[in-house]
Amino acid sequence: MTLRADHVAGAFFVGFGLLVLALSTDLPTGTLSLPGSGFMPKIIAVLTIFFGAVLALRGGESRPFATVTWDDVKHAGMVVAITAAAVALFERLGFLTTNVLLIFALLVVIERRRLLPAAAYSIGVVAITYVLFVYALKTPLQTGPLGF
Amino acid sequence: MESTLLSLAHGFSVALAPANAWYAFVGCLVGTLVGVLPGIGPLAGISILLPVTFGLNATQAIIMLAGIYYGSQYGGSTTSILMRIPGEASSVMTCIDGYAMAKKGRAGAALCIAAVGSWIGGTFGVLVLTVVAPPLATIALRFGPPEYTALLVLGLIFLAYMSSSSLIRTLLMACLGLLLGMIGIDNMTGHFRYSFDLAELGDGIGIVPVAVGLFGLGEILSTPSAGAVKDIISPRVRDLLPTRKEWSEAAMPITRGTLLGFIIGIIPGSAHIISSFLSYAVERRVAKHPEDFGKGAVAGVAGPETANNAASTGAFVPLLALGIPTSPITAVLIGALMIHGVSVGPTLVNEHPDVFWGFVASMYVGNLMLLVLNLPLVGLFVTVLRIPYAYLYPLIIMFCIIGVYEVNNSIVDVWIMLIMGVVGYALRKFDFDPAPLVLGLVIAPILEQSLRQSLIMSNGNYLIFFSRPISLSLMIFSVGLLVLAAYSFVLKRADWRTKLAEAEAGETET
Repeated sequence: MTLRADHVAGAFFVGFGLLVLALSTDLPTGTLSLPGSGFMPKIIAVLTIFFGAVLALRGGESRPFATVTWDDVKHAGMVVAITAAAVALFERLGFLTTNVLLIFALLVVIERRRLLPAAAYSIGVVAITYVLFVYALKTPLQTGPLGF
Repeated sequence: MESTLLSLAHGFSVALAPANAWYAFVGCLVGTLVGVLPGIGPLAGISILLPVTFGLNATQAIIMLAGIYYGSQYGGSTTSILMRIPGEASSVMTCIDGYAMAKKGRAGAALCIAAVGSWIGGTFGVLVLTVVAPPLATIALRFGPPEYTALLVLGLIFLAYMSSSSLIRTLLMACLGLLLGMIGIDNMTGHFRYSFDLAELGDGIGIVPVAVGLFGLGEILSTPSAGAVKDIISPRVRDLLPTRKEWSEAAMPITRGTLLGFIIGIIPGSAHIISSFLSYAVERRVAKHPEDFGKGAVAGVAGPETANNAASTGAFVPLLALGIPTSPITAVLIGALMIHGVSVGPTLVNEHPDVFWGFVASMYVGNLMLLVLNLPLVGLFVTVLRIPYAYLYPLIIMFCIIGVYEVNNSIVDVWIMLIMGVVGYALRKFDFDPAPLVLGLVIAPILEQSLRQSLIMSNGNYLIFFSRPISLSLMIFSVGLLVLAAYSFVLKRADWRTKLAEAEAGETET
């Protein structure tokens, strides 16, 4: 039997629904006349399992899992890694420094742009954005250890 | 009626105040750019720019954000017609015949018909909104928990039924959204649910990080910069005016698109997307020469473009009259008003007349601005499209981070956005549309509270939903839709939605 995309997706949702049910064991279901905090999540989790199972069972109509293309996963992974690093640094370094580094890293590491234009672009757009938000729109942005 | 006109006149005095008109213009301009740029739709655009409105008053904030919303519906047609790339989801159908017209040298005419159709659809929507919303708000004061529950259930079922992809996929996405909406403190009992000892999750997961993650970052992750370069057809200004024959071919589709779009708009769901798909299907069905569709049929541009604008205005009816978000976008608008201390609902028209009528009047002004803005400045928008994507997406990621962080000054929200970006990327790989997920997240608290309150009111008797006239009507409608869906599912009949999805897939492959 060929493994189809919907077999995988359906199985994931069945597993996810079961996980939610497992995490809901300490939440009281209550009664119909006085539903508890676990009442609604458990109903939705059961529906998720049901719909996931239907998706998997009808999976024969979907495309083979092997044909799902992942050629962009390297690009996506690098964007996520660089953005995650920026998020981790955001509150420590502040808006200006973090975003200059973020844009510079995306341009140089992923897009293979030359250092000087990448530096000029990242400093320029971040500075313009800072002025726009802080001075024109009066919206304070996260400051770093040097006060900007 | 007289009091409505007096109130509308007051609204115009608010909307035409220089500062408010300026923010309407800024909203329309930014919205057009949001619509033009592929990879950043109205939801991400509004969410990212939400912090920009913090320094404004409530009226200016809603005028600007709504301008972004309906401006994006205009702008989305530009990339569809000139590049065959939908600037946002509701412009997908315009790609087919809009681009075909452009290849025949009629790009200017297609843009003009799209802009005029959008203006007519949008303006008609505002006219009906002006008349309908205030009395509907009076009726809505009679809504209790069972009516709200029935209305929200109908919205979910309607969204699933209208989806051209798959009923099961749409319902799965809605369930996922509802489950995400259960995270945080339970309002009725005070229990912490799925918060994993993170205090920041006590208030639940916000709409903004989820929406920006799924639609902003998720789109970027799915779009490698190497594949983002496309040919752009530049229209000549002298070719902007359609011929008399093209106008006559566009007249009826615009009329039908206006009515259809508005009706779809007031029903919960991603109305602006559904309406354009439905309008295209209707136009093809009623056309004398359906074989022209896909080869540059004027009706294939006029109908969907009119319908999506009429729907985006229609979506404001339940928002302003009932306080119910019918789409993720209107949910973010509610959030924006709440940040400014304005609670949306049936009492809005009486408690905040400046906000309500100023907003309604600003839509008349905004739609006119967009008509004037879109045609002469089409060259400028084409220039924006020439910015290399490699330079554009780092900028969008920066705005995603600022937009999400500034709402609550919470870095946890930014992490949630990043996670949702990855989720959005994975969902696209398996052909899931993330929009119902956000709608589920938005309505989860209202649905849960109204369902539990209804059961408490009736001492656990489910018949409460069938014993009150309004909720009974809504439930009958829901059951009818389910029966229709089950009928085609069991008999495996290819109904109009399946045929439409197949047609779209065929068009995409060519």
